[in-house]
Amino acid sequence: MGMSLDRRQFLLGTTALLGAAALSPAAALAQENRLRQLFWGGQARADRTNGVNALYTAASGNDVESSFLGWGDYWPKLATETAGGNSPDIVQMDYRFIVEYARRNAIAPLDEFVGSALNLSDFDADQLEGGKVDGKLYGVSLGANSVAQLVNLAAFAEAGVEPPNRDTTYDDIRAMGEAFKSKNIRGGMKVIADGSGSEPMLDNWLRQKGLALYTAEGKLGFTEAEAIEWFTLWSQMRADGVCVDAETQALDTNGPLENTMVILGKAAMMPSNSNQLVAYQTLVQDDLTITSYPRIAPGVGGGHYRKPSMFFSVGGSSSNKEAAAAYLSFFVNDPEAGKVLGVERGIPCVSAVRDVVAPMLNEKDQIALNFVANLGDLLGALPPPPPAAAGEIDVSLLRVISQEVAFGARTAEDAGKFFVTEAAAVLERGAA
Amino acid sequence: MTAQSISASARIKGGAVGSSIWSRAWENHAPGYLFLLPWFIGFFGLTIGPIITSLYLSFTHFDLLTAPRWAGLDNYIRMFTNDRNFVASMRVTMFFVIFSVPLKLAFALGVALLLNRGMRGLPLYRALFYLPSLLGASVAIAILWRQIFAGDGLVNQFLALFGIVGPSWISNPNYSLWTLIVLSIWQFGSPMIIFLAGLRSIPQDMYEAASLEGASKWRVFWKITLPMLTPVVFFNAIIQTIEGFKSFTPAFIISGGTGSPINSTLFYTLYLYNEAFSFFRMGYASALAWVLLAIVAVFTAFSFFTSKFWVHYDD
Repeated sequence: MGMSLDRRQFLLGTTALLGAAALSPAAALAQENRLRQLFWGGQARADRTNGVNALYTAASGNDVESSFLGWGDYWPKLATETAGGNSPDIVQMDYRFIVEYARRNAIAPLDEFVGSALNLSDFDADQLEGGKVDGKLYGVSLGANSVAQLVNLAAFAEAGVEPPNRDTTYDDIRAMGEAFKSKNIRGGMKVIADGSGSEPMLDNWLRQKGLALYTAEGKLGFTEAEAIEWFTLWSQMRADGVCVDAETQALDTNGPLENTMVILGKAAMMPSNSNQLVAYQTLVQDDLTITSYPRIAPGVGGGHYRKPSMFFSVGGSSSNKEAAAAYLSFFVNDPEAGKVLGVERGIPCVSAVRDVVAPMLNEKDQIALNFVANLGDLLGALPPPPPAAAGEIDVSLLRVISQEVAFGARTAEDAGKFFVTEAAAVLERGAA
Repeated sequence: MTAQSISASARIKGGAVGSSIWSRAWENHAPGYLFLLPWFIGFFGLTIGPIITSLYLSFTHFDLLTAPRWAGLDNYIRMFTNDRNFVASMRVTMFFVIFSVPLKLAFALGVALLLNRGMRGLPLYRALFYLPSLLGASVAIAILWRQIFAGDGLVNQFLALFGIVGPSWISNPNYSLWTLIVLSIWQFGSPMIIFLAGLRSIPQDMYEAASLEGASKWRVFWKITLPMLTPVVFFNAIIQTIEGFKSFTPAFIISGGTGSPINSTLFYTLYLYNEAFSFFRMGYASALAWVLLAIVAVFTAFSFFTSKFWVHYDD
């Protein structure tokens, strides 16, 4: 039987377990074949995961003891358990952290199980590649997604502006912004959120220029000139009232979805991810959709990529690695499991599963699936996993400096120089 | 009892010296210590142990995933020579403490003076005014605070009645820290209760003498109430200063843990938390924690030193 635990169940369960253990010493032995699973997500993801765990237990006889946390609580918990030599058998892993965990042997290489316990023969090649570190497989992608702009169609209709599509450029957005200004809908809603502090948006913009946020060696992939151009681009949009002002953008603390610009009704579109459309749609009445990030010029593509939205990896100290690998195999290949999971973690990476899942999706899920499947010329190569310090550069440099420019504490010129110098210093320290 | 007389009485009763003192002490106190054992285990295992470990960790680089590496004074050197965020967070925290503590104490004293005038229903008012202190540090209030001080929040709706267009207080770096100071002042309950108790303990005959002499209310406050209350003021100031340095939850919730906008609410504890649990520099975070301890200790010692010049004990 698959299990998920909230605190009350845990307390009840613990009490029951202690009682059972006191009655019969054999109860403790039953733990041996149990796989322990830890992932981040909300209740919807937990329900789907537990559904698959029930299927897996029925098929294999192995129990899965599953628990989940929010993103922010997940990483300290996983790191603490890993530090205690007690990592779960199955852990959810993010592209941002996979290198760090792999190089420290906190997750196990899976190559020895591929072809036996772990069947990846029909797995999308680019998604398989995304789970490799130093040539070895450390994570199995649970779905592909892509950055996408969240668009409030109702707001565009009110403003009488044609909504953006896959050919929309940054210049087009400026023109749309003028139209929004003259219409003045919903107390001065702007066409777009301020994207200057958005790491994915900067990344996408750089990739269209043939550059990257980070190189494969973990160095900064661009120079002061691009950073200055980036901050200037947004400073002008802010000054012209195309994007939201500094005070408004600062309401979004990169925390709850409720505080984002589209949901607060401050902007008609904002940078987001393809798999988040469903979650955002539950928060507003207006009809939402997704489209690509703007192009830097007509016909220029290559900014997007199909990112492994998350992986399952096997804990480095797991005593049950083979069983865990078999679980992963079931999770990504089994059509019935696919039906339970849908596209909640991203688009399935096995085409047979995709075929089973596609007809049963609702309209919003369909939009997400079609978007990721039909990126066309917008699609570029998967960038190397970011260096360990990338998170720190995002949180304590890019977002802070973008706010400094927005509030007028720094010029765009100064901000570009400062960002590149400081980011290089953080990367240097991270490598030491 | 002197040591001699103890051993003398032990000799009379026991016969064999030395061990009998210990065995008798053991017999007398063992049950007590056994009952205290759970507390001792908690104290040494969960309090003293981790504190000593964190002191050790502060001299290492430790990312949780790999074993700590000895770093000597690296963490401390970096903190004081090459860390803008340390300076920024220290500035934010100092500003917060310097403004929130006196304002909160003044407010709490003001309310205590009002409540001390022998009004009817005092227990009810006392409970009502204490309520924010119970709620104030909670997540729910921090979220509510966002709504109140946002651009289209309650405060600006009120200001709009007078034709004033207010800024988005919570997301403007010029005002965001002040919203947290106001939140802190609003939690004036516990110093207020202590002030109230202090006011009650001032001897009435002093006030009677003052009124016979025809002293004004203002003069009575400055010459009798406040001097007699200084031990309570001193106690409250120390406690609230320590609370101020430790303040974490409101800033964490309101800024989503980022200290946004532009690090204007990057409290020292928030920075420490991010270093530990966002960037996994446990060694550096431990060093930050020990420096915070030192700073609080210095502040407290300084307060005690100055106290002899302004605190009047009635003896």
